Amino acid sequence: MGFEMWAEKYRPKSLGEIVDQREIIERLASFVRARNVPHCIFAGPPGTGKTTAALCLAHDLYGEGFRDHLMELNASDERGIKIVRETVKTFARVKAIGEIPFKILILDEADNMTGDAQQALRRTMERFTETCRFILIANYSGQIIEPIQSRCAPFRFTYLPRKEHDEYLARITKAEEVRIGKDGLDAIFEVSGGDLRRAVNGLQAAASLGKPIDADAVYGVVGRASPADVQEMVKIALGGDFVKAREKLREMILKYGVAGSDIIKQVHLEIFRLDIPEVWKVRLADAVGEVDFRLVEGADEEVQLSALLARLVEAGSEIKG
Amino acid sequence: MFAAWTVKHKPQYLQDVVGNAEGKEKLVAWVKSWEKTVPAKRAAFIYGAPGIGKTVTIEALAKDLDMELVEKNASDYRTEDAIERFAGLASQYGSLFGGRRLILLDELDGITGAEDRGGVGAITKIIKTAQCPIVLIANDAWDTRFVALRGYCVMLEFKKPPPGEVARHLGKICAEEGIAADETALKFIAQRSQGDVRSAVNDLQALASGKAKLAYEDVSWLAFRDRKDVIFSVLRLIFYAKTADGAKRAVDITDVDQDMLFQWIYENAPYHLKDPKDLVLGMDALAKADLYRGRIARTQDWKLSRYVIDFMTAGVAMARERTGSVGWVPFKFPEKLRMLSHSRAERAMENEIGLRIKHRMHVSARVAAKEILPYVRVIFQSNPEWAAGLVEWFDFTEEMIEHIAQGKKHLKAIQKQLQT
Repeated sequence: MGFEMWAEKYRPKSLGEIVDQREIIERLASFVRARNVPHCIFAGPPGTGKTTAALCLAHDLYGEGFRDHLMELNASDERGIKIVRETVKTFARVKAIGEIPFKILILDEADNMTGDAQQALRRTMERFTETCRFILIANYSGQIIEPIQSRCAPFRFTYLPRKEHDEYLARITKAEEVRIGKDGLDAIFEVSGGDLRRAVNGLQAAASLGKPIDADAVYGVVGRASPADVQEMVKIALGGDFVKAREKLREMILKYGVAGSDIIKQVHLEIFRLDIPEVWKVRLADAVGEVDFRLVEGADEEVQLSALLARLVEAGSEIKG
Repeated sequence: MFAAWTVKHKPQYLQDVVGNAEGKEKLVAWVKSWEKTVPAKRAAFIYGAPGIGKTVTIEALAKDLDMELVEKNASDYRTEDAIERFAGLASQYGSLFGGRRLILLDELDGITGAEDRGGVGAITKIIKTAQCPIVLIANDAWDTRFVALRGYCVMLEFKKPPPGEVARHLGKICAEEGIAADETALKFIAQRSQGDVRSAVNDLQALASGKAKLAYEDVSWLAFRDRKDVIFSVLRLIFYAKTADGAKRAVDITDVDQDMLFQWIYENAPYHLKDPKDLVLGMDALAKADLYRGRIARTQDWKLSRYVIDFMTAGVAMARERTGSVGWVPFKFPEKLRMLSHSRAERAMENEIGLRIKHRMHVSARVAAKEILPYVRVIFQSNPEWAAGLVEWFDFTEEMIEHIAQGKKHLKAIQKQLQT
């Protein structure tokens, strides 16, 4: 039944239950056998099992009482240097009890840490290696400073392939007695793109409608649950409708709280995927860079991004000729 | 069905009419005195500011005392016919069916110009011999036109009711409409109306109609409305200025806060810069103005604000080179100002919910609110039974449930499930 979130209910408890990322899992299992773990960076897109792998590793290493040897922090909620100086240090320096001489600190969304905090973290990692091992989790390892990267064993997680995606969902649909057609599964894979958290949340929301799940149910649910995306906004602007594009922008910023810097990052990616003359990609990248710089300076996100949307409108009309 | 609340919620009885207790009392005493004998003054002249309940008082009085009310207003006074008919009615105390009659001549201010002078004269003449009470109503009784007339009337001044009483009246309306209204919100509307109950009720309807709740945030922006016309003309001057200097000077005709004016321009400029090239220049000018605003905030160097003005006025005006006529486009209230207070509270709530989700699901509050909450919302809106399970699992409060479910209907369904 849907009395808890399936993404949590069916989260693998032990490394053996993880359906994908075979090579990574194999290496992590060897750490468990050796009863030793280096500092690690788990990098990769959302919903590919990074947090799960870290929790499973701790579980297999310490057994059922693993939570006593583990601290989970989220850099996105506690991103400043203060958290490193106080919470992290206090946890890291206290000696572990039990047969394994170190504890594990999972630092999720570590790419959101400020530079200062990362510098402080680097020293802490060095000083307390004996008593504490760090697992840093990030979407982009490039956002983590070099000195930390060089101290960690890197693991790159990738989106789940179709087969593993289907296997995982099949486990849930069987246990929950949910009926889902092939078109329903196709639709979930298409919208989740191998992001398992998104896939399972979408599955559960679609199942909550109380009918066998088909493609329409999936698209309906995901449409209701996804914020307007950057791609759509860019297309609308290129199509010439500034007012509507600005509405989408507002929806993202005001309603869904998407950070301006995240939007600009995606616009930048999007521009190079667009089917427009190459020279325009470069011109637009210049405009994007200017806005990015202004945001760093502390300008208003909406106003600056609106100016960028106006550029896209102009580009769209010039390209059309 | 649309009904103006000033009509729908018009007080039926005298005690329901807001304010002017003393005036009402004197009026009742005078009307009642007719039962014994025809009083020395056969007309009452009620005067006072618009919207304070003069006409409503008379209508309620007639109902209270069970009298037949004959109403005439400005448009009728000129015609000889109407005056004759009026004379006929006034000559008898009782109506055809034995009830008593009350004659009301409303909107006396409407009698204007030389041709109407006779009108006032005729009314005066009729009052002298009237056999039933006549009530005259005007905003200004001291106009020279009424000099002769006043001598034959009991003069009753109606005053503006205090905001407290107006707010109480608004509260009664809200109760009847099933709207939970903040006292501060009602007081704000009442105060702003400056004793004009009619405009207060109209404002209330505009702001609260169809809502379940009326909070202070919903009404506070009214404060800007008074200056709406001013802002509109400033915007027009800026968007259609021919010279840079002309656009800059438009700012001088108003004392509107600079940030607020910026929001108005930012909201409306795109509708007046249809050509893509103009649009780019205009939005870029606004982005530059915004940059300077940021620099002022950082350096506290207020002399930079002259550049903010340059870009947001002249910058936008001079951008308009290729756009032809856009016809008449209504100006829009800035979305930013509307959303500000609202979304701040909303975001705080989303964050609270995010923290509960985080507690359960190993994600940051930010990811929780962005990626998980929307799916939880779908479940809350389509499956109350599962929703109830999730409420317990996440440990959501009632406020959170309401925020997630977005609607009383879903909330009730979930609460029902929680009780079983």
